[in-house]
Amino acid sequence: MTVEKVILNTAKIDCTGCKACASDLEAENLRHALARLSGVSKVKVDEITGKVSIEYDTQKIGFSKITERIEKLGYKVEIVSREEIQ
Amino acid sequence: MREHVKGVILVASLGLFALAGALISGTRVTYAHEISIALTLIAVALGYRIYLHGIRSLRHGNVTAQLFATIAIFISVTAGLVLPSASATGTAEAVGYLTASAIVAFIILAGMTLEDYIIHRTRGALEKLIKMSPTTARIRRDSAEVEIPIDEVKMGEIVLVKPGDKIPVDGTVISGHSTVNQATITGESIPVEKTVGDRTFAGTLNERGALEIKVEKVAEDTTLAHLILLVEEAQEKKAPIQNVADRFTTYFLPIMAVLASSVFAVSYFALGFDVALARTVTVLLVACPCALSIAVPVAVAGTIGNASMNGIIIKGGTHIEKLKDVNLVAFDKTGTLTIGEPRVVEVRTFDNYSEADTVKYAAIAEKFSEHPLSKAIIAKAAEMSMKIPDPTDFKTIPGHGVDAHYGNKHILIGTKMMESDISEKASQLMNRVESEGKIAIPVALDKNVIGVIVVADTVRENSLEAIQRLKRLGVKTAMITGDNARTAKSIAEQIGVDEYRAELLPEQKVAVIGELKKGNVVAMVGDGVNDAPALANSDVGFAMGAAGSDVAIETADVALLGDDLTKVEYAISLSRKAFNRMKGNIVYAFIWNVVALSLAAFGILNPVLAVVLAEAGCISVVINSALLLLSKPKPLTERELKVSISEKVG
Repeated sequence: MTVEKVILNTAKIDCTGCKACASDLEAENLRHALARLSGVSKVKVDEITGKVSIEYDTQKIGFSKITERIEKLGYKVEIVSREEIQ
Repeated sequence: MREHVKGVILVASLGLFALAGALISGTRVTYAHEISIALTLIAVALGYRIYLHGIRSLRHGNVTAQLFATIAIFISVTAGLVLPSASATGTAEAVGYLTASAIVAFIILAGMTLEDYIIHRTRGALEKLIKMSPTTARIRRDSAEVEIPIDEVKMGEIVLVKPGDKIPVDGTVISGHSTVNQATITGESIPVEKTVGDRTFAGTLNERGALEIKVEKVAEDTTLAHLILLVEEAQEKKAPIQNVADRFTTYFLPIMAVLASSVFAVSYFALGFDVALARTVTVLLVACPCALSIAVPVAVAGTIGNASMNGIIIKGGTHIEKLKDVNLVAFDKTGTLTIGEPRVVEVRTFDNYSEADTVKYAAIAEKFSEHPLSKAIIAKAAEMSMKIPDPTDFKTIPGHGVDAHYGNKHILIGTKMMESDISEKASQLMNRVESEGKIAIPVALDKNVIGVIVVADTVRENSLEAIQRLKRLGVKTAMITGDNARTAKSIAEQIGVDEYRAELLPEQKVAVIGELKKGNVVAMVGDGVNDAPALANSDVGFAMGAAGSDVAIETADVALLGDDLTKVEYAISLSRKAFNRMKGNIVYAFIWNVVALSLAAFGILNPVLAVVLAEAGCISVVINSALLLLSKPKPLTERELKVSISEKVG
């Protein structure tokens, strides 16, 4: 099993800063959506900065599938770091 | 849920500190003022979520009420701490400014928490789907039953589902008989019979009997999992009307900057520093840009959530806006308005033969035939609970019929098998049946016609009601089909569509849609696979019976997961309601802001009243939008239904 940890910067496209986005729940939704992907073991979403940290099993899920999911939910994604941790 | 508890605790502790701070300042405790200031400052600090959001919104170049509130509270706290040392009024005034800040922070934070909760509830439909996702499955391995996590189930394995259990996978029933409630997927709460060969969906509820299901799709590949993804994505897709709201919010920050500084300048010279400060703070606090920007996304989420609970997947805000304008719905015929499989609709008999005799001999002869018409006859026999013996010998003559023997009886089926033997009476009957667009199958026993079996593609139970509902809404209806004109006419008359076009090739269907689109906004309803080009050419493409067909869900703008056509009307009327609500909210929020800002600028409001007003404005918009989630289909009244039936008969 190879576990990778990535840190991403995310920002909601078209966000007007309304409370629908600027709330903990937006972060909660993203967190749940990512945690449901099989192979993803740990998800942390910082609601204020939009920083997302994800740990996943590279044999079960590809990196591109994760970013694709985030983008499909209407976010811009930018990679901050990506490293093998196990 | 945990998030909400945390939110409420935060609000409550902020309130307690603010209250304690205010109470202690009036007592004679030593250092009462100092303690009071400290407690109040803690209260203000507990509103950190407001400031963080405010600062974040600045980073993204957006405007939020939190940003204005942050500025207002900052000004007010600074004034509270700095002014007393400069002025003669002393600490009492400091407490006044600080207490006001704490109360303001309390109201805003309470408002935010409440809004969060409502928005969360708006997404509740999604939560419901997610909760229906199975986590374990009971499977048979090495002749033993084991319960394993859903991730470990492999394709082709056999899953055992007991009565009352959730079905964990998409698959095919290989043994057992039961009823299954598929409301999660199709929105239809009437349970469906399932027996060997039927498909099942993960997340549906097995009711009566035990089933053994061969696994075809697991976990992320199931229809349920796809639905969750679709709804999740659709709720995030904004509606075009959002742009209108966005345009207002872009101007909000510059307007507010100008307004706040002019209010300060004017009142400073006219009424002095204290009043100027209070008014400026009030102006900042009463502004409610979020009511403008939040109206649409919450309404979109509520509408899509509502639709998904009714087995309708609307794939984004854009389609809600298109749907509301639809004034003509074109239906495909075969498989959409009709069931799409021929069924025996009538059995006529001659001489002294009974209906049962006719069906029985026909079924014997057709027993081993794979022809769709044979299947219809055999299904009829099964429906009459007959046991059908094997024919002694039989031969099928393609395009003509069947020639079979059973014991010493000679059975002939099909018009072309017996041309010279058909009686005048039978021939007349067959002509009448065929003029109605149905198929007449004569059955002869020893060259003597004993009966005629009438087979036709039957109209779906709710097609008539679906058309009637659309008429109530003022939407025109059309039927387009590749079938012959005679059959098309018969079906069109039965269900009462406004117009029909027959004998169309798939590419001609596309052209007809183009023609209908002149002067109309056209929705096309089809199965999503054969009609994909016509669906794509329409303004809104509905794929029906889409559960289990990824292609259909993919190509459609709106997917009806079950095969209840009345959902077409519901999707349209829900969208109309949703759009009106969005528009109404934007107008309301705009007026609210103008009025509230004017009141604040002229000093009619104080800061606390201002923030109460701002939050009330925002929450009322959120609630109004979120209520779309609770909207329900409006049934036809008995009178309307009667009209539709009498029209059908007439």
